[in-house]
Amino acid sequence: MKSTQYSEKTLDHFRNPRNVGILEGDDVAVGRVGNPVCGDLMEMYVRVKDDRIDDIKFQTFGCGSAVATSSMITELVMGKTLDEAVEVTRADVADALDGLPPVKMHCSNLAADALHDAIKNWRSGKRLTPLGAEEIAAAGAGCGAREATVVQGVAEYAGKGVYGSLDDVSVLADKRVLVVDKGIPSARLALALTGVTPRVIFVTELETLGLPEEVATGVKRSDVKVLLRSRLLAVRGEGEVEKVLIRDLDEDDEYELFVDAVVLLGT
Amino acid sequence: MALPPEDEVYLDYQSARPVDPRVVEAMLPYFTERFGNPASLHAPGDRATETFEQSRAAVAGFLGASPEEIVFTSGATESNNLALIGYASRNKRSGDHLVISEVEHISLHNIGKYLEKEGFRVTKVPPDQFGRINPDKLRTRITDDTILVSVCWASNEIGTLQPIPAIAEMLKGTGVALHVDAVAAEGQVPIDMATVPVDLLTISSNDIYGPPGLGALYVRSGVRLAPITMGGGQERGLRSGTENLPGIVGMAAAARIAAAELATEAPRLAAMRDRLISEVLSTIPDSHLNGHPVDRLPNNAHFRFDGVEGESLLLSMRDQGIAVSTGSACSSKTLEPSRTLISCGLLHEEAHGSLEFTFGRYSRESDIDRVMSVLPGIVKRLRDMSPLYDTA
Repeated sequence: MKSTQYSEKTLDHFRNPRNVGILEGDDVAVGRVGNPVCGDLMEMYVRVKDDRIDDIKFQTFGCGSAVATSSMITELVMGKTLDEAVEVTRADVADALDGLPPVKMHCSNLAADALHDAIKNWRSGKRLTPLGAEEIAAAGAGCGAREATVVQGVAEYAGKGVYGSLDDVSVLADKRVLVVDKGIPSARLALALTGVTPRVIFVTELETLGLPEEVATGVKRSDVKVLLRSRLLAVRGEGEVEKVLIRDLDEDDEYELFVDAVVLLGT
Repeated sequence: MALPPEDEVYLDYQSARPVDPRVVEAMLPYFTERFGNPASLHAPGDRATETFEQSRAAVAGFLGASPEEIVFTSGATESNNLALIGYASRNKRSGDHLVISEVEHISLHNIGKYLEKEGFRVTKVPPDQFGRINPDKLRTRITDDTILVSVCWASNEIGTLQPIPAIAEMLKGTGVALHVDAVAAEGQVPIDMATVPVDLLTISSNDIYGPPGLGALYVRSGVRLAPITMGGGQERGLRSGTENLPGIVGMAAAARIAAAELATEAPRLAAMRDRLISEVLSTIPDSHLNGHPVDRLPNNAHFRFDGVEGESLLLSMRDQGIAVSTGSACSSKTLEPSRTLISCGLLHEEAHGSLEFTFGRYSRESDIDRVMSVLPGIVKRLRDMSPLYDTA
């Protein structure tokens, strides 16, 4: 069965998804699951009153079935007690959509998992709260707090694509450059690099850009691709830098990324 | 004219092409009154032989090759198999190492896996961010044991043209053979074996508006292959099986038309491509062109949109009667992001947000009007429900 051979009901939920959006307030918990390899990321927001799901909303980056299963599960559990809601299984979601192509069954897992994650967070008292000023300040003070981790291959590729300093950005014209967060100088360098190459990636272990506001805004508005909560583990290649190994600190997942140069200021 | 229906917009020529009605007309007699097996000694057999060799000469002419350098196959996948497996088996005394670019069609990656199981070593060479293989980087992968290098003429996904003349020049005199998969490029850019020293070259019939299920492998005189199909010894023993006469007549007709029309068709397609690229990038925020900005196939426009996923885009376009592709159609079953896009340096979520438009002989300016009337809204709708896109 082709991945696009969806049931009419699935297509309907894809075209007209129910309960899209986010919820806010201190009576809201959120569940977040994703599988970047499949290209799905799902957030499920639940508002609970008297142990019942009073409201539920979702956001999805994903395929047709990821959208449809998210939409379907919100309809299935709206108004249900939490005990009833956790009983809703992946199979229930697929059945309610008149079935899913076998290759897409894992997407129904995601919707159910996101809901269960949200309920688990609610029950453990974890509420959705916007980041407080203190937390932002803590992240911002991160210049000193950034961990000095050992990156494999840095010494081996010194002068072969790994840069401990960079006086002239034009040597990296049209290269794919990974800049590791070392505070303000590294962010400014990333910005400068966008003038000579379309591909600049800024990798930081922090949850938000731990930079003074004007620098952070500059980075956000630029073509710099920011990887939050990510750690550079290794530099790889045959004779010169060709790839890096990145760890996604939230997903506990590692992946390779093709780059031509790595800038690690101070190494 | 073999136009798609008026209410349908077909911009997926990379996946399949209609057969040109002129080609169908040329083929029809060979299904009925002019049937025959070239191996037979009677008059119908002789007529079949004559037609067959004329057709071979036409396909050879299309590539600037000699007729005896053309081997007909069942399609590009078989040509790729014959080229790599046939060459590696026949030449293993010279070495056990092959180099394949990261931006090849999936068939070549899987042939590479098969050869590794058979005891060969296969090294991949990555492209730059535009999907281009640098000949100097390729050179670093070559060892004393290397017998063959395989690089496509153009990427079937992102449309980037490869510097094949420079790569062929670099390999000249090294004893390393060069195979080129020219399927995405044939009929769109000039391909001339008389001036470019390629050893093996894969083409397909349908990609020049000929019948599907047919292809050819160019084998330069003096290059030795072992057959991978055993039988009655047709095609000088390299590809046994009774010849598909109507199909080969069709492929020859398609090659003649492609050669005659290339000089006018390529600029027409390039103008449509450039219009679509310019309108998409200027109308849709956070949209990006994948592949090379200039050195790309005349018919290929390949985009990605931050925060949205390709299959959702494709389904939404389908609802509007627009047929497009996301990543490589062949690899969508695996749910893996496109290897070509990842090797260009994209993150998984970026690779998943890609959308490929490929124009062709029956594409119209009005197709672009239709795309631009719906695509910005589709991207916006999907972004509105995406946790990865901050509308602020």
